[in-house]
Amino acid sequence: MVEPAWTPGACAIVGIGATDFSKASGRSPLTLAAQASRAALADAGIDPRSVDGIVRCDMDLVSAPALADSLGVPDLTYWGEAGPGGSGPAAMVGQAVAAVTAGLATTVVVFRSLNGRSGNRYGLVGERGAIGGEGSYDEFFLPFGMQTPGQFFAVVARRYAHEHGLTLDELTHGLGSIALASRAHANANPAAQFFDRPMTRDDYLASRMLADPLRLFDFCLETDGAAAVVVTTTERARDLAGTAVPVLSVAQGTGRGVQPGQMFPALLRPSITSWPSAATAPTVFGRAGISAADVDVAQMYDCFSITALMQLEDYGFVAPGQAAHLTEADLSVGGTLPVNTSGGHLSEGYIHGMNHVLEGVRQIRGTSTNQVEGAELSFVTSAPPPGASALVLGADR
Amino acid sequence: MTDQNTPLVPVIDDVDTGGFFAAAARGELAIRVCSECRADLHLPRENCPRCGAFSQEWRTVAGAGTLYSWTVVEHQVHPAYPVPYTVVLVELDDAKDVRLLGRLDGRPSLEIGQPLQAWFEQVGDATLPQWRPVAEPSEENV
Repeated sequence: MVEPAWTPGACAIVGIGATDFSKASGRSPLTLAAQASRAALADAGIDPRSVDGIVRCDMDLVSAPALADSLGVPDLTYWGEAGPGGSGPAAMVGQAVAAVTAGLATTVVVFRSLNGRSGNRYGLVGERGAIGGEGSYDEFFLPFGMQTPGQFFAVVARRYAHEHGLTLDELTHGLGSIALASRAHANANPAAQFFDRPMTRDDYLASRMLADPLRLFDFCLETDGAAAVVVTTTERARDLAGTAVPVLSVAQGTGRGVQPGQMFPALLRPSITSWPSAATAPTVFGRAGISAADVDVAQMYDCFSITALMQLEDYGFVAPGQAAHLTEADLSVGGTLPVNTSGGHLSEGYIHGMNHVLEGVRQIRGTSTNQVEGAELSFVTSAPPPGASALVLGADR
Repeated sequence: MTDQNTPLVPVIDDVDTGGFFAAAARGELAIRVCSECRADLHLPRENCPRCGAFSQEWRTVAGAGTLYSWTVVEHQVHPAYPVPYTVVLVELDDAKDVRLLGRLDGRPSLEIGQPLQAWFEQVGDATLPQWRPVAEPSEENV
C-alpha cells in the first residue's frame, strides 16, 4: 500500500483572530466571520484582498464566496470545507495546507462562525412533521426520547464507567477534573465567557443533573462568535508580520464501523467507549514523528467533559480507563498534561473546535493567558462522534 | 403543523428503514440482513460493509435484549417527553451487533446487563418497539 507523502511544517498558521464570545452577538454569522477573518489577517500582516482561498465548516451558515465578498477578495480561486461539524477544524486547516502545498492557493482563511446561543441552538426539536428518513436515521432515536447531544453523551459516559469498572463517583471525579481545570484556565483568560467565575469541586458537584450521569458543568457553553486562522507556506510566512506556527502534522480518521447519520448512530458502533480519535492517533503523531508523551500542551475537543476525557485515552496520554483518575492539577498548567488552556468549550466558549486551534497557536507563540513555559509541541483535536481530526503545531526553527 | 404536545412520529416508509417499522406494526422486531454473507445490517441499509453485496432482506428476531447503557433525562427539552424519563440502549439477544433504544417513565432502578423485553407502542401512524425490564417474580408473580 502506498502511504501519503506528508512534509511536516511545509505550511504554517501565520495569523489568528476571533470575535468576542457572548450569548447574544447582535450580529449576523457573516459579520462575525468577517470580523474574525479580518483580525486573523491583520495579525498575519496580510491584506485581505490577497486572500485566494477559504475553508469553512460544513455546518456553517456562511459560504466561502460570501465571506470572500465581505473581505473584498477580487477573485476567490479555491474553497473547501470539512466536517461533519465539530470534527472539522483541524481537518479544515488540513484542507488549507493541502491547497497551498498542491499549488491551488497561496493564502487561505479557515473560519468558523455561529450564533450558537441566540441563533440556531442545537438539540431543539422543532415542528417538522415525521422524524428521520433520507439517511438521517433520526427515526431510531428522537421518537424514543434520545433528542440532544447531552443525552447521547450521558449514555456513553455510563457505559464507559461500566466497561472500566468505575463507580459513578469515580467517573464523576474524572469529569469534574476536566471541568475544573477548564474553569481555572478560563478565570485567567479575559476573553472567556466564564472569566471571573471561579468554581470549586463542590460547586461542580452541586450543579444540577441534566442527563444522568452528566451535570450542567459537564456541558459546553452555547456561544455566539467566530474564530479564524490564516494558512500559507512556512517560507512565505517568515516574511510576514505574524509569528509563523508550522503545522507539523494534521490527520483525519473514522475508524471501522463508524455508522451513517450524524451523532446518535454512533451508539451502534462496535464500541462506544472510544472515538474515531483512536484511529486518528497513530496518523497524527506518526506524521509529526512524535509520540503522545512528547506533547507539551493539548486542546481537547470538549463539547462535553466526557468527550475530552475519552480522547485522553484514545490519543494515548493515559491508558484506557485511567483518565477518570486524573486530577484538575494534572490537567492544569504545571501539571503532567495541561489541557484546554483557554478554558475550552466548557468555559471559554463553543466555537465548534475552532477556538482550540487558536489556543494551540498561542501556546507555541508564548502568548497564552495560561502559558505552558517552553511549550514546543502543541496538540489540538477536533472531534467526535462522526469522525475525528487533529493537528500538531510546533515552533519555526 | 405538528402539535408540540404529541410525541414525535418517525418516518415509517423510508427506503432503507421502512421495513423495521412495517414489522413493528405487525408486532414483530425485524432487522436487515445481508442476503449474501448473512451479516446483520443495522442501522438498516442495502450495502453490506463486510462482503459488499446489495440486498433488501429482513429477518425477524426475538423481542429479548440486554441493557447496554442508559441515561435518566432530567432536563426538559420536548414538551411531549416530560422529565424525568429514562432512555435505555438495548443489545438484542438474537443479534449482538444490534442495539435499539427505548423509553421508560421516571427513574427506574436499572443495571447494565439486565434482561429487557420488547413491547409495541402505537404513536400516530407508527408503531415503536419499546423496552421494559423482564418482570421480577418476587414483585408481580408471587
